[in-house]
Amino acid sequence: MSEKKIKNIFVDGPIEPAFIADSIAKHNSQTAIGGHSIFMGQVRKDEIEGKFVAAIDYTAYEDLALEKMHQIREDIFEKYPLNCMHIYHSLGRIKAGEICLFVFTSSAHRKPAMAACNEVVDRLKAELPIWGKEIFEDETHQWKENI
Amino acid sequence: MKIELISFGKISEFINNQNIEVDGIADTDAFKQYLENQFPPLKSMKYKLALNKNIVQENTEITNNSTIAIMPPFSGG
Repeated sequence: MSEKKIKNIFVDGPIEPAFIADSIAKHNSQTAIGGHSIFMGQVRKDEIEGKFVAAIDYTAYEDLALEKMHQIREDIFEKYPLNCMHIYHSLGRIKAGEICLFVFTSSAHRKPAMAACNEVVDRLKAELPIWGKEIFEDETHQWKENI
Repeated sequence: MKIELISFGKISEFINNQNIEVDGIADTDAFKQYLENQFPPLKSMKYKLALNKNIVQENTEITNNSTIAIMPPFSGG
């Protein structure tokens, strides 16, 4: 069994664009990297039966989610030649237009970074115990479901 | 047998986190039956259980002082 170091992925509130810029800047010294791939999830102002989504309130079963994310991380590093991978997911109330997910993968050449980034996003949506409550402008709500 | 019950998402709106005392329930299949009797809205919902932070994929034995989470479909990202 590999050494287990569980990383946190959760951030309270939205992921700020400045934080993303800073994450990119931090890779300046890693000169073996030739390609980065970034996915950002943004809260969409969906219209459902005439009402608009104002925000999504995210909650998670954090312990289980981090455990699961650790397994996904290990699988991805085994499958693709990545230099690094960073994942952040918001908790709490994120307004429409704000960033709630940030996945950042880097490799020597672009293809592994791009494939890994896609796969992480797909697996994270399907496998992590995180729930989004869509809050409408009139403060009523419905629970989101990933298909 | 003591069980700590925790719930998430939509399910947390009608099942509070609570400690319960149950007898004659040996495994997760029996526990699902118990839950659906106690909380009828569950019958028509999709949900998964996690037993001591492991997602239940097949019927699993439950031991005293377990934590069981009731989880509706995920919607992260």
